[in-house]
Amino acid sequence: MATAMQQPYRGGSGYVARSSSSGLYDVLELILDKGLVIDVFVRVSLIGIEILTIDARIVIASVDTYLRFAEAVNRLDLMSTETQGLPELMEGITEGGASKKTQGVLQGAKEALFGDEDEEDEEKEEEPATKRQRSSSTTAKRRRASSSSSSGSSQRRSKGS
Amino acid sequence: MTVAQPETAKYVYGVVRSEGASPPKGAGIDDEPIGVVAHGSVAALTSDVPGDFLEAGRQELLAHTRVLEEAMESSVVLPMRFGVVMPDEETVHDRLLAPFAEALEEQLQEMDGKVEVTIKGIHDEESILREVISENREIAELKEAIQGKPEAATYYERIRLGELIAAALDDKRGAAAPGIIDRLAPFAVDVRVGEPVHERMAVNASFLVERARLGEFDRVVDQIGAELAGRIQLKYTGPLPPHSFVELGAGV
Repeated sequence: MATAMQQPYRGGSGYVARSSSSGLYDVLELILDKGLVIDVFVRVSLIGIEILTIDARIVIASVDTYLRFAEAVNRLDLMSTETQGLPELMEGITEGGASKKTQGVLQGAKEALFGDEDEEDEEKEEEPATKRQRSSSTTAKRRRASSSSSSGSSQRRSKGS
Repeated sequence: MTVAQPETAKYVYGVVRSEGASPPKGAGIDDEPIGVVAHGSVAALTSDVPGDFLEAGRQELLAHTRVLEEAMESSVVLPMRFGVVMPDEETVHDRLLAPFAEALEEQLQEMDGKVEVTIKGIHDEESILREVISENREIAELKEAIQGKPEAATYYERIRLGELIAAALDDKRGAAAPGIIDRLAPFAVDVRVGEPVHERMAVNASFLVERARLGEFDRVVDQIGAELAGRIQLKYTGPLPPHSFVELGAGV
């Protein structure tokens, strides 16, 4: 691992979750959407691109979303208000940035695309490779259905705003 | 469209300086070795892929980032977006390197010694919901009214409550971003602010940072992270090749 030069300072506070490009999920948005490109030569249809679009879901006006928020608010009462602001609150925050109490959209999309592995696992390449193979057979149909290649990311953007 | 596809094509990872360019030793997509196509002072990092290369998944995405990561360790690299496949070396030369040589050379100079860092922040759900309740009377009252009543009897009230919360989150989303970005911008050469891509995303920004100042930048991120603890969880990704800061512009 050539990280010595890349990480001159490792924060001691522990409040910031860190990853480099080996944490694939965190760089997906960049490598699919940013960088030099000549459109006519983009020749790729991404396995799971339809799942990536979920990533861009902000608040969608739907009864389900509203009920989910209402439930989340009502659940607050079950927790002691005294713990608010105390360090215990931090325990609920996971590496992925989403609170463990809710399956955040990001988390959901991540699991859908990569299985339930954590970022730490992504560094071990062999194991995820077998997961990929297993899941690729189930996504084969969808893959074929979504043969439009680079339009995925632009859809994502317009849907988001 | 009816022209037969050749057996292999060239996948393009990024552009480097041709002078002293040694391709990354690590393999690329499908374990193919990385080669160099040069034109004057610029060169493309490529590898062979099947001529009909169309579908890609986790392994291919990882190979793309791995090659770029290795390349950026030894020199400046302009990353291509994932998925650029050109029919052969001649096309890489004639359609990418030759027509854009000047723009590429300029950007190689500009990006030299700099890396991209992305900072994302997600509001803690519990803390932002408490904020919303404390700031919005209608939400607080509706919540009280529903309290303890059976779900079936309060269906429409709960939908209304959720709707109000969604609107309040909409208003709040991104409100913290300028404060965070303003604190970090002085330590960066350039900043790109992205759209929030999550309902509780507070900030989504890319910074172009000089390697020499990365330590300073990181310290400020940590400070901000500590200050926001319990309210916004910051996520730091980098150092990365400067994906958000390169573009081809108009060719010649």
